[in-house]
Amino acid sequence: MSEDNKDKKPTSDLGSWLNSMGAPVSITELMPSEITGLDIAPLLTMLGGVGIKSGVRGAHTGGSNVDEIRWLPIVRSQQPQE
Amino acid sequence: MSPSLVITCGTEPKRGSATPLDVVSHFFGALAQPFGFFKPSKGLLSELNLSRGVYSLLTSSDHFEFESVQHLAQALSDLDSIAIALNHMDSEEFAIWCGLGKSDARIHLLQLVYEMQQARIRAQGAQLQLDFTHNLPSTKALFRSLTQLALVGVACDSWQLQRAWSTSNRESLSKKWASKYESIRVFSASGVLLEREGLKFVFRVKWNGVGACKPAVGLVRNQLVVDVGGVRRFLELPAACSRMEPGSVLLSKNKFEIDFVVKESEWPRS
Repeated sequence: MSEDNKDKKPTSDLGSWLNSMGAPVSITELMPSEITGLDIAPLLTMLGGVGIKSGVRGAHTGGSNVDEIRWLPIVRSQQPQE
Repeated sequence: MSPSLVITCGTEPKRGSATPLDVVSHFFGALAQPFGFFKPSKGLLSELNLSRGVYSLLTSSDHFEFESVQHLAQALSDLDSIAIALNHMDSEEFAIWCGLGKSDARIHLLQLVYEMQQARIRAQGAQLQLDFTHNLPSTKALFRSLTQLALVGVACDSWQLQRAWSTSNRESLSKKWASKYESIRVFSASGVLLEREGLKFVFRVKWNGVGACKPAVGLVRNQLVVDVGGVRRFLELPAACSRMEPGSVLLSKNKFEIDFVVKESEWPRS
């Protein structure tokens, strides 16, 4: 990993997310950097994973995790009546 | 006893977004405190999953108005999804991460989950009124949205449906359509785990008419997810299922069954 990449903040940090949600920049400026830099990917994944339709923007963080719905293959029964 | 809540679908006036409820504001306010700020902005609250329909369901009003049957079904689906996310929030490492136990956040969290449960119970017992005056869907779309409504546990009386349709449309719903619709029952969201042979089990869910609904079926953690066109219902699986590998879903006219095979590595038999 290069030095540049080490210093990069995660895209799902709390500060960026708050701003993307419409929070005024002044709010995040008041917060300590260790707070705004928190990676909230687990929270976003959890909310997005259960399929909230109106969703949290930016919830898609990529990769697989336990909160993603695992869709199962469906086989239709051949029996006409049950 | 007549239901105290009336829900009208198809008459929602075009208004701005609703004001967030106090309980929601308190919850997010208290949750946010450990981060060092007091309250999320109004903009943030309005974007946080709680669609306008969900807000409506959480109010104590005696009359809700939704734009369409589909909107009502989607709001109930979102309500369930949020309740599950909040329950996960209360039960996991996330609770420690956000300091849930150190503030009033947990009280507000549990209150919100309780409000959601009550809202669902109210909606299921509500008197449903349909109005197709401003929005007349195709019979195919109507069938789909009523199926979604059945999935989230709300019944729509066939006679009342026919009357509302005839009022807005000169033609009646065909007997074939009505017969197909009447074959679908409200989903009870319950199932049973049955042992088939050796290490093979099946989780059977009965739902009259499910074969005509073309659902998608999936798993997330210990929940079974049934999805019809984006509207979802969750069903908690028996704990044993977490130690089994799911297979395919056999879909029949009035039930579906999910195959499970025991993971021997996780569940050794002596």
